[in-house]
Amino acid sequence: MHLTEEQLNEYLDNETAERAQIELHLSSCDKCAARLSTLQNLFTELDSLPELELTKSLAAPFTLRPSLPAQLPKFLTLTASLQAAVALAAIIIAAPFVIPLIPAIETSSLTTLLFEAQSQWTAWLDMLSQFQMPAMPEIPILEMSSLLMALAGVSVLWVLGNGLLLRNQMK
Amino acid sequence: MTTPTDRDLILRARRGDAEGREAFGELVTRYQTSVFNVCYRMLHERGEAEDLAQEVFIRAYDRLHTFDIEREFGPWIRRVAANLCLNHLEGQKVTTELDDERDADPTQRPESVVELKERGEQIRAALASLPAHYRVVVELRHYQEMSYEEIAEEIKIPLSDVKSHLFRARKILAEKLHAPD
Repeated sequence: MHLTEEQLNEYLDNETAERAQIELHLSSCDKCAARLSTLQNLFTELDSLPELELTKSLAAPFTLRPSLPAQLPKFLTLTASLQAAVALAAIIIAAPFVIPLIPAIETSSLTTLLFEAQSQWTAWLDMLSQFQMPAMPEIPILEMSSLLMALAGVSVLWVLGNGLLLRNQMK
Repeated sequence: MTTPTDRDLILRARRGDAEGREAFGELVTRYQTSVFNVCYRMLHERGEAEDLAQEVFIRAYDRLHTFDIEREFGPWIRRVAANLCLNHLEGQKVTTELDDERDADPTQRPESVVELKERGEQIRAALASLPAHYRVVVELRHYQEMSYEEIAEEIKIPLSDVKSHLFRARKILAEKLHAPD
């Protein structure tokens, strides 16, 4: 009588209470020993399966912090100050060489351009002064003074309302 | 500065603030490879396995308050992964059946013989050809070293089913892997 598949599996899984009897049978039965060996090979192969590496980190969704106001590192702040100082020094050194060259720059074209711009501006102002608003239909009930009074009243109410709303924050 | 233990990280992660999320990120870094490998053994598709492994950690973070701090985090998260993969495979039952049919005809398989020449890949392909319930039992027994009873409890099936699934799965695997070329 040979061992069953169940007995062999349970023996290799260490889930049997009949270890001694099974081992006794295996020592005298080549066929069952061979079957056990085949099953053991499968176990070894399954256990030898190598672990694979991920192509991306799964921790990213948990390590991303909410964006904070960017703060420059201290060394960058120092570098910026140094750059500003060097630029200022460069301007001071370059000034005596550049100032004599300024009168030589052709400025007539600039004057013409400014003059043309001024002419266009004046023309536009003239056109604007001639513009007339279309006649508004008169509303018999409302006069301008009563409209202004109503507007002033609403403004006062708006200021008072806001004042009341913001009273607590002002304290 | 000493490295924080898993327990320290879990306690910090449970606070739910930005530092807690970062602490959980550290846990993810520690266990992401093993969780991904559970998913990959179960699904045999890298992209899908990575997505599901990510899902495992997101779910674990949301349910961290239910985790018993006295237990080890690694085995727990790997069991969560195996269960999630099983649910995923069961949800795709139709596809799996189609895959089984495809496996029956070697000429229809997309993987070339060259790709499968590595033994590891052959084992993975053999695992992937198993029905979902067989696959999860093999995963829990061989890679997570759980006892028959623990497996029965984990996936809520009778002990007799654990044994029959496992023994049949091994029979199929042996036939596929030890068949003469």
